[in-house]
Amino acid sequence: MSMKQQIQPTAHTPILSKSLKGQMLKQKVVPYLFIAPHLLLFIIFFAIPAVVGIYISFTKWNLYTPPKWVGFKNYYEILFNHDSTYYMQLRNGLGNTLRFVLMSVPFCIIVPLFMAIALNTKTLGNKVFQSLFYLPNLLSISTVVLTWVFMFHRRLGPINNVLKIDINWFGTQPFTWTAIIIITVWWCIGGNLVIYLAALAGIRQDLYESASIDGANAVNKFFSITLPGLKHPLAYTLVLTTIAQFNIYGQPLMFSKGGPKATTHVMMMYIRELAFGSGQSIAGLASAMSVMLGLCILSVSTFQFILMRNND
Amino acid sequence: MKWIQKNITKIIAFIFLMLIAFVWIIPLLWSILTSLKSEVEMQTIGYKFLPIQWTLQNYIEVLADTVSAPIAKWFLNSMVISISHTALMVVVASMAAYAYARLEFKGKNILFWFLMATMMFPSIINLIPLYKIVDILGWVDNPLAVIVPGLGGVFNIYLIRQFLLGIPKELDEAARIDGASELQIYTRIILPLAKPVLTVVALFSFTGSWNDFLWPSIVFNSIDKMPLTPGLRLLQGVYDIEIAHLMASAVISIIPTFVLYLVAQKYFLEGLSASSGVKG
Repeated sequence: MSMKQQIQPTAHTPILSKSLKGQMLKQKVVPYLFIAPHLLLFIIFFAIPAVVGIYISFTKWNLYTPPKWVGFKNYYEILFNHDSTYYMQLRNGLGNTLRFVLMSVPFCIIVPLFMAIALNTKTLGNKVFQSLFYLPNLLSISTVVLTWVFMFHRRLGPINNVLKIDINWFGTQPFTWTAIIIITVWWCIGGNLVIYLAALAGIRQDLYESASIDGANAVNKFFSITLPGLKHPLAYTLVLTTIAQFNIYGQPLMFSKGGPKATTHVMMMYIRELAFGSGQSIAGLASAMSVMLGLCILSVSTFQFILMRNND
Repeated sequence: MKWIQKNITKIIAFIFLMLIAFVWIIPLLWSILTSLKSEVEMQTIGYKFLPIQWTLQNYIEVLADTVSAPIAKWFLNSMVISISHTALMVVVASMAAYAYARLEFKGKNILFWFLMATMMFPSIINLIPLYKIVDILGWVDNPLAVIVPGLGGVFNIYLIRQFLLGIPKELDEAARIDGASELQIYTRIILPLAKPVLTVVALFSFTGSWNDFLWPSIVFNSIDKMPLTPGLRLLQGVYDIEIAHLMASAVISIIPTFVLYLVAQKYFLEGLSASSGVKG
């Protein structure tokens, strides 16, 4: 009897444990099936290009024949060889890009900040204003530039005609940079504006009320309540805006074609011309330039990651 | 007087906003009005804000061009590209986000935060090798070159995961006890609940794809294969001084994102503040 009782479960156990094992195996495998499609795409289109991009910057390569290892030659060429045209291109391209970042980022932060504070008074037509201000953000850079090229048209554009001036916005500095900054601010403050508005709505109203009772004026309130309340969104938008502006390409390409005298010829334009231009591709050297631009962006984006982590 | 005193900040804010709104709307208005003028009128009469003779001729001519600047074809190409990219993005990103938010597997957290950390990596470095990979796959001049690579991005996974973490775990567990498979839980429970965040991802994927400029201008060589955004740059060369034609093309290119914005404005604005992590 006791033997029989013992046999029965042992006879069943292999079958039971087999299906249990299958179940457990399934539980282990299924999650990977969910992440597999993305992971595969990530590896092919992000991870591999990232690694190869750095490798290529140490080679001589024309995109089609196998790359030849040259060590730091590309970097020496663009960073230290004063006689090289590529040295001049990096200097001019990175310089112009940095100039643009330094000029545009403050406006892309401060202008929407004031707009958000005004909108936060919940004045008449509040929602309509907000919708309008965000709208340009949804346009492509080529549409935006096409629109503004004609705003700034020397003979037929409204800006010169209404202000009764005769400025060549496309071929004289500092007007070309001014125009590009105006276009950029018009195009991209929408996102920052929405973020500031959400943050302002989260600041407790009673803080303002008690400050009023204590006799604080509007300026006091702005610096002691509003700005501290916006600390996190300001840091976040500052980082994201800076990264975005480092990638400037479409505005100078279509508005001024890099001119006048290459003063708006930015880094991305050089990289593109060298790697995918009409002549023989010098992809290795262009990669070294990409890495240089990338290092500038990386120094900023490290902050972004820290902010996101703190936020999780 | 009392009313003015009481509402003085609102009045100042309103005047300030009106001024900015004026600056904001003029370029849009100006391109629409210009697109409705005739080229001859503009060149002979010079600057004038409103058209004297309103005409749709520019639109007709621009849309009829099928050779040097086939804008109708570009529009269609862009539609196919943006819709496919969006649909695939929602599927791929939500599947991965579901696993990272709700399932347990070895190496989950390390893998997830590794992916997040790669967001710091400057994508400009990827550009040249990415072109080579697309070339090896035979995708140069093919819509797949602009539909597929972006699907490997990680930001949307982060966004969806954040949302899914807020859904009570008991829902999945109850379904699991009832014998539902992970696939059933994902499609029947999670996806319907995640509709708001998926809508946001879809809208931003569509507009992002529609407006992408640098990458499509590199991977397309044939005029009739390219999408609208790089096409508009070619237009600059084709029409040159025919400004009304250029403006008509610009207006056409705005239509899809503009319509989406009219219909789903709420999602655009809420999605943005959600993705920045600011609690509204």
